[in-house]
Amino acid sequence: MRIVVCVKEVLDPDAVNNYAVAGRLEIGADGKTLTQTAIPRLMNGYDEQAIEAALRLRDAGADFTLCVLSVGTDPDKLLKHAAALGAEELVSIQVDPSTLDPQATAKLLATQIEASGGAEVVFCGRQASDDDQGVVPVLIAEHLSMSVVTVAREIHIEDEALKITRATPEGDEVVRAACPAVVTITNELGEPRYPTASAKIKARRVKPTVVTPADLSLSADEIAPKVLLKQQFVPEVQGNCEFLEGDAAQVAGQLLEKLRAEGTLQ
Amino acid sequence: MSEQPIVVCSFGETRDGLPAGAEEVLHIGRGLAQTSGAPLLWVVLGPLPERAAETAGLFGVQSLHQIDDEKLKMNSSDAQVAALVAYGKAQVPKALLVHQTLEARSVAPRVAAQLGGAVVMNGISVSPIGENFEITASAYGGDTRAVYEVGPGPVLAFIPNAAIPEPTSADPVAAEPFTVDLSAVQERIEVIEPACFDGPRLDDAEIIVSGGRGLGSQDNYSLIEQLAEALGGIAGASRPLVDDGWVDSSHQVGLTGRITRPNLYVAIGISGASQHMAGCSAAKTIVAVNRDPEAAIFQHARFGIVGDALEIVPELIRAASAG
Repeated sequence: MRIVVCVKEVLDPDAVNNYAVAGRLEIGADGKTLTQTAIPRLMNGYDEQAIEAALRLRDAGADFTLCVLSVGTDPDKLLKHAAALGAEELVSIQVDPSTLDPQATAKLLATQIEASGGAEVVFCGRQASDDDQGVVPVLIAEHLSMSVVTVAREIHIEDEALKITRATPEGDEVVRAACPAVVTITNELGEPRYPTASAKIKARRVKPTVVTPADLSLSADEIAPKVLLKQQFVPEVQGNCEFLEGDAAQVAGQLLEKLRAEGTLQ
Repeated sequence: MSEQPIVVCSFGETRDGLPAGAEEVLHIGRGLAQTSGAPLLWVVLGPLPERAAETAGLFGVQSLHQIDDEKLKMNSSDAQVAALVAYGKAQVPKALLVHQTLEARSVAPRVAAQLGGAVVMNGISVSPIGENFEITASAYGGDTRAVYEVGPGPVLAFIPNAAIPEPTSADPVAAEPFTVDLSAVQERIEVIEPACFDGPRLDDAEIIVSGGRGLGSQDNYSLIEQLAEALGGIAGASRPLVDDGWVDSSHQVGLTGRITRPNLYVAIGISGASQHMAGCSAAKTIVAVNRDPEAAIFQHARFGIVGDALEIVPELIRAASAG
């Protein structure tokens, strides 16, 4: 069995949010990209949990080769982290991500998966924490004619099928999906593990397989973006907060009075 | 051939006699149809919700189409995709608009792929530029807005984030059946245990009281439930509480949880991270209680109380119960 996990490098979303909350998030001269060079780049958190999902299947006794795939020009850090966690195959698809859209990315990933012998299961994070689109996993499934199960928090292999608990807004739902399938992982899966120090040292020697669109026989047309980012901006928040003063009982009383006076409360 | 339409698609969950989020997306669809000089169509999959015909009239829908089939039940994403692709091929829409539910997150990209159009999620607003469209979408968990240009025939999914103006009155639009042969569709995902949330829904709530890490410990979450009850509302939570297992994911307000639009949203011990605000910024009135006077939540709040949740909330419960 082969399990493929697709991972993306993103700007640390917590650092981005800290800048945003402090009112210091800035967009560069191109009008599209965040300028703060101090924001670390790291593996999309949901993708890290997608690797964790595969490792938990391994912990439970499943026997498979773990392949971790990434699209980008500098995926070494990401892929070495994946190797240290136990990935046997590492593949870097070399394309400048800013020239791609989710559909082109999905086409590259799906073509690579197919060309390298397919997969019984493809795990992806539920969405990337930069663009939040969450479209790539669904389109990989579509390209590979696989079913797709989103927002998985727990996965078991039973009778060669996947039994998946989904964290839906209505509560947990349990589904069965035959392999092959694409499964997206949600934050409710829980903390991903860290690699051991010795695994990290060993992983330094691992070289990812480097693939270009030409190696995949994909023409520029086939990976031309349909969704073009024209601009990015920081939304303005209109602060008109009225702070209530006094001790706890006084502010509570004032608040209820004001809400009733405005008709917000009966 | 008649003018290519703007199509609003509704499927899956219904609320209060309408498909979830239908009014928000019809409002956006009407605006787009007007600016691009196109008719507005509304296609509903499955049983027709009771207020659909009346709502179609209110939002200027030219034709309301219903695709009903035994296979279009809940958890029928393969059938939903097949139905929308068949409908899209027949109508050749300028754009297909959907409300972004969890189901839509997997249905919309597949429909776009099969119709050959682009797909954008987390949409907030859209306008035509010639034959193309410019869509503004939330990114970085709500910290930024990304403006994308897409070509003709995209599938665009929207998250509600603003109040809709009261639509003017109009005659109802009678639903016409639209037939799609779904006999060949076989669902690939089998539901073994359905989600069985049967309490009141955050999406429908007029009053929500949400708690965050500022509560200090899981035991204190009961204060949130008590205040919600005293105010006649329901209890929500920020994502860290769900991640830490204090409450289950059905309580989560935010971009990856419920997107709510209550009359009153009371945020207790919540810092106001953008990802959380994406789930409550459509509230008419936001009240924030936080120890940190610099907390981002106060930028969004109408009324703010700087203080310890454990001191303030019991007083709020007392004051609300006295009312």
